[in-house]
Amino acid sequence: MRIEKCYFCSGPVYPGHGAMFVRNDCKTFRFCRSKCIKNFKKKRNPRKTRWTKAFRKSAGKELTVDNSLEFEKRRNTPVKYNRELWQKTVEAMKRVEEIKQKRQARFILNRLKKGKQLEKEEAINEVKKNIHLIKAPHAGKSKQLEDKMVQQLQEDVDMGDENN
Amino acid sequence: MAEATLCAKHNASVSAVAAAIQKMTRVRVVDNSSLGNTPYHRAPRVIHVYSKNSVGKVGDRVLLAIKGQKKKALIVGHKMPGSRMTPRFDSNNVVLIEDNGNPTGTRIKVPIPTHLRRMEGDYSKVLAIASSFV
Repeated sequence: MRIEKCYFCSGPVYPGHGAMFVRNDCKTFRFCRSKCIKNFKKKRNPRKTRWTKAFRKSAGKELTVDNSLEFEKRRNTPVKYNRELWQKTVEAMKRVEEIKQKRQARFILNRLKKGKQLEKEEAINEVKKNIHLIKAPHAGKSKQLEDKMVQQLQEDVDMGDENN
Repeated sequence: MAEATLCAKHNASVSAVAAAIQKMTRVRVVDNSSLGNTPYHRAPRVIHVYSKNSVGKVGDRVLLAIKGQKKKALIVGHKMPGSRMTPRFDSNNVVLIEDNGNPTGTRIKVPIPTHLRRMEGDYSKVLAIASSFV
């Protein structure tokens, strides 16, 4: 049993899912769902259809070259069965998957950091441009202080009058 | 429409298929028999389908008219989408057969669907000469 890759979206095709098409040059195409089959029949190029993994990898939006991805490459030489090797492989698969997820997530995080920086610069530019719409934090403080002083003086005068 | 000249060409049609293989369908012989591979000015055509409803699917026997003679054949792939877990082919493929079920050719290079193994009927000889399975 093998989990194949969909030709169009590169998603996993589990047993019992999807369909297969054999072209006259004997090349077989596996698809995970009818969405991919319909797009294929429309002769769309997966490297240009934005939601596919093929596009994302070719456009540099996802991790392409990495040691953890080497494990997934297909090898055409069969390996002699060895129980310990099998068990170790299962353990290794779990660990490799963990590392791969972290690295992929890290790649995307780094890619999106630039966006945050640009956002900040944009915000600064916007403020600079529209500074005339913003009230300065110290605006009106001097008037407020003056009023307060006047009020204080008034109160002192009233107090003085009372005492007299 | 495909014009069969001295060498039968396969013009790819992109319209959806309604019924798999019936009378008068032009088929592609995929084994290496001389009858199937020598050029003729008319493509091999189905003239009778040996099934209850005259529609040929994978594993059905048909009668072909090739080079002016009648010959039995076995369907090994068709353009019509069938059950989800069976492959769909880009041409209607057929393997020439004798009356007792023995294949006429000695090798089949085109991929043969594996569900032929599980079908009722003796296809062991045809499966034995197939080089690849799909």
